[in-house]
Amino acid sequence: MKDKIFGVLQRVGRSFMLPIALLPVAGLLLGIGSSFTNPTTLETYGLTGIITEGGLLYTILDIMSKTGNAVFDNLALLFAMGVAIGMAKKEKEVAALSGAISYLIMNTAISALITAKGGVEAMAANTTTTTLGITTLQMGVFGGIIVGLGVAALHNRFYKIQLPQVLSFFGGTRFVPIVCSIVYLVVGVGMFYIWPVVQYGIAQLGQLVLESGYAGTWIYGIIERALIPFGLHHVFYMPFWQTELGGSLMIDGTLVQGAQNIFFAELASKTTEQFSVSATRFMSGKFPFMIFGLPAAAFAMYRTARPEKKKLVGGLLLSAALTSMLTGITEPLEFTFLFVAPIMYAVHCVLAGLSYMLMHIFNVGVGMTFSGGAIDLTLFGILQGNGKTNWIWIVIIGLVYAVVYYFVFYFMIKKFNYKTPGREADDEETKLYTRKDMEARKNAKTADGGFDRVSALILKGLGGAANISDIDCCATRLRITVKNSELVDDAPLKESGASGVIHKGNGIQVIYGPQVSVVKSHLEDFLDSGLADKIDELLDGNTQAAAAEQKTANKAESGTLYAHLTGKVVPLEQVEDEAFSAKVLGDGIAIEPTQGKLYAPCDGKVDMVFDTKHAVNLVSSTGCEILLHVGIDTVKLDGKFFEAHVSDGDNIKKGDLLISFDIDGIKNAGYKVTTPMIICNTDDYKSIKKTADGSISAGEKIIEIE
Amino acid sequence: MKTFEYTIKDELGIHARPAGMLAKTAKNYESEITITKGEKSVVCTKLMALMGLGVKCGDTVTVTVNGADEDAAEAGIKAFLEENL
Repeated sequence: MKDKIFGVLQRVGRSFMLPIALLPVAGLLLGIGSSFTNPTTLETYGLTGIITEGGLLYTILDIMSKTGNAVFDNLALLFAMGVAIGMAKKEKEVAALSGAISYLIMNTAISALITAKGGVEAMAANTTTTTLGITTLQMGVFGGIIVGLGVAALHNRFYKIQLPQVLSFFGGTRFVPIVCSIVYLVVGVGMFYIWPVVQYGIAQLGQLVLESGYAGTWIYGIIERALIPFGLHHVFYMPFWQTELGGSLMIDGTLVQGAQNIFFAELASKTTEQFSVSATRFMSGKFPFMIFGLPAAAFAMYRTARPEKKKLVGGLLLSAALTSMLTGITEPLEFTFLFVAPIMYAVHCVLAGLSYMLMHIFNVGVGMTFSGGAIDLTLFGILQGNGKTNWIWIVIIGLVYAVVYYFVFYFMIKKFNYKTPGREADDEETKLYTRKDMEARKNAKTADGGFDRVSALILKGLGGAANISDIDCCATRLRITVKNSELVDDAPLKESGASGVIHKGNGIQVIYGPQVSVVKSHLEDFLDSGLADKIDELLDGNTQAAAAEQKTANKAESGTLYAHLTGKVVPLEQVEDEAFSAKVLGDGIAIEPTQGKLYAPCDGKVDMVFDTKHAVNLVSSTGCEILLHVGIDTVKLDGKFFEAHVSDGDNIKKGDLLISFDIDGIKNAGYKVTTPMIICNTDDYKSIKKTADGSISAGEKIIEIE
Repeated sequence: MKTFEYTIKDELGIHARPAGMLAKTAKNYESEITITKGEKSVVCTKLMALMGLGVKCGDTVTVTVNGADEDAAEAGIKAFLEENL
C-alpha cells in the first residue's frame, strides 16, 4: 500500500514537470517586468524620467510583466491539464481536453453559487479570485491538481467504455469529457461548501501567529511555505500584508494598515530612519532561503543526479535556481522535490520558518513587492542602506542557509534515495516500462483468456505493426496511414469485423461503425503490448487450437460416401461457382452427370428437400451433414425439370433415388448440371479425401471421411 | 445479448450459396449468432440448419447475437445481410 501511494506520488511529481518547465521563463518575465513598472520603485530610484508610463521601455516591461503573469494567473489550469496528461495512461490528448473543460466547469459551478449567495461581497475577504474571467473561490494550484488527478482517474477508467449501440458514438474516449464534466459540476458545488471552511481555519491560524512573538513569526513562516502546494498561502499571508492583522502605524500623519503597506509607506516617506521590523517580519524571512537556501538545494540535487543525467537536469535546475534567486519565485524548484520527497519539503518548511524568525530577531527590515529575490533585495535592502534595513544579515544568514540546505538535501537524497530529477535510474525506467508493458499485455488479452484477436487481425491486414505510421479514427472509420499500401490485405480486416475497407494511396480507412473508437483503443493497447510482432503465430496458434478443440469436441465418426450420380468426377475446385469452388459451403466433390438420377450416397435421413427441388440436405447415420445440389444456380428454375422422390424426415438407404431431373431441359434453359456433394460440417473432420477420378457409376466409392 | 430483425429482399431467399456465406461470416465471431424464422431457431454457423430454415424473399427473420464480441458480430451480420440478402 505504502509503495503504491509512493508510486502514485512519483507519477504525480513527474506529471508536474510539464507545466513546471514553463515557470522559470514566466517567473523571470514577471519578476523583472513587475519590479520596474512598480510606481513606488520607480519613484524611489528616480527612474520616472527613464521609464514613464506609456513610454517604449515601460510598455516593454509591462508586456513582460503581464505575459509572465498570465502563466501564473492560469497556473491552476496548466496543472489541471498537465497533471491529467501526465497521469493518463493512454489517449493523453483526450485527458488534456477533459482537464480543461472540467476545470472550467468546476469553477463556473462555484461562480454560479457565489452569485446566488450575493456575490463576492457576501464571501469572506481574500477568499475569492478571478480565473479565466470566472469569479470563483481562491483555490490556487490545488484547484488545478484536484481536477488533473480526478480527470486522469476517470479517464483511465472510462476511455475504453463500450456503450449500447444507439449511444456508441459517445463511447470510448468521447465519453471521458462527458463524464468528467458531470463529475466536476458536482465537485464544484461541493467545493463551494467545503473550501470556505478550510479558508476560515487558515485565517484563524493567522490570529494565533500574531499573538506569539518570535515563535509566532516562525510558525507564520512554516505555515506560509506549507500552504504553497495547496494555493492557500494567499489566504494566509495576504491579511498580514494588507490588513490590520499585519499591524497599524501612523506614517507622516496617515494611518497605514498591513505589513506591506507600512513598508512601502515608510519607503516613500523621507522621515524613515529604520524600517519597522514589526511589519517586515512577515516578509524579510523569504530572502535567505530564496536567494541562498533553495539554489543550494538545487545544487545538491544536481550533485546527486546520475552522471549521465546531469547535463539534462542541469538546465532545469539551473534555470529554476536562478528564478528563485533573482525573482523569488520558488515554485519551479519546490515542485521538483515536493512530490517525490514530501519529507524534504517539510524540512524545507521548518527551515523557511526559522529564516523568518531569524530575520525578526536580527531586526532586518527589508520589504518586497511580491517575493524575496535578489531584485527586491537590491531595491528594498541594499540600496536603502544597511542602517535602515540591516540587510547585511540577510547575506550572512543566507550563506549559512546555503550550506545548511546543501548538506541537508544532499544527505537526505542520498540517505532516503529520493528520486529527485536525474535520479530516476535507467533500470527504474525500464522496470516502470515493464510494469506498464505487463498491464498493456493484460489489457490486450480478452475474456476468453486468449488475446485480442480483432486487433491481431487488423494488424495482419495492415501489413504488421512496422507498416503503420499513424492511427486515427473518425465517427465510424479507423484511419490509418501505412508506409507501404501494397502490404495491406483486406481479408483479415474484413474478418476482424470491418464492413468495408477504403484505399487512398497510403491512407487506409477501415469501416467499423460507431464503436470504432473502442476498436482503436484496443488496437493501440495491442501495439503497445509487445504481442504485435507475433500476430502470425498467435493467429495460427489460435486457429489450430480452436480447430483442435472442435475436433475433440464434436469428433464425428469416419465413413465412406458413394457416388450420388453416374457421370464424371469433377474436383470441387473446378466447379464453376465460387460458393462451391472456394469451399465456402464446405469440402466435397462434384459429378458432371450423364443420367438425371440423384441417389443417396449413404444411409441416413432427409433433413430437407428444397422447395425448388434442385437440392437436398441429408444427415448420414454417422452424423455427416451432406448437401446435394443439382446444377449451378438452378435455384432460379424454381422446380422446373426436377422431381423429388423423398420428403423431409424420410429415412433413406444408400442408393435410394432422391431426385430425378431432366438434364437436357436444364442445359437448354442455360444452366450447368454439375452436381456438388458438400460436407457441410467439414470442420468436424480431420480430412475429406476423394478416392475416385474420371468416370464413375452411382454407388461407387467416391469419398473417404475421417 | 443483441437482437435485430431483417426482412429478406433477395428474391431467392437464403438458399445454399448465401447460407454458406452467412455461416462463414458468422464463424468470424466468438458470439453465438442465431437466426429465428417463425418458431424455428437455428445457430447461424450450422450451414445445414440454416438452409433447413428455408428462408424466402419477404420473410422477416430475427437475428440474435450473444457473446464477447456481440457489437462487432451484430454490425458484421447486419452488413452481410444488407449486402447480400
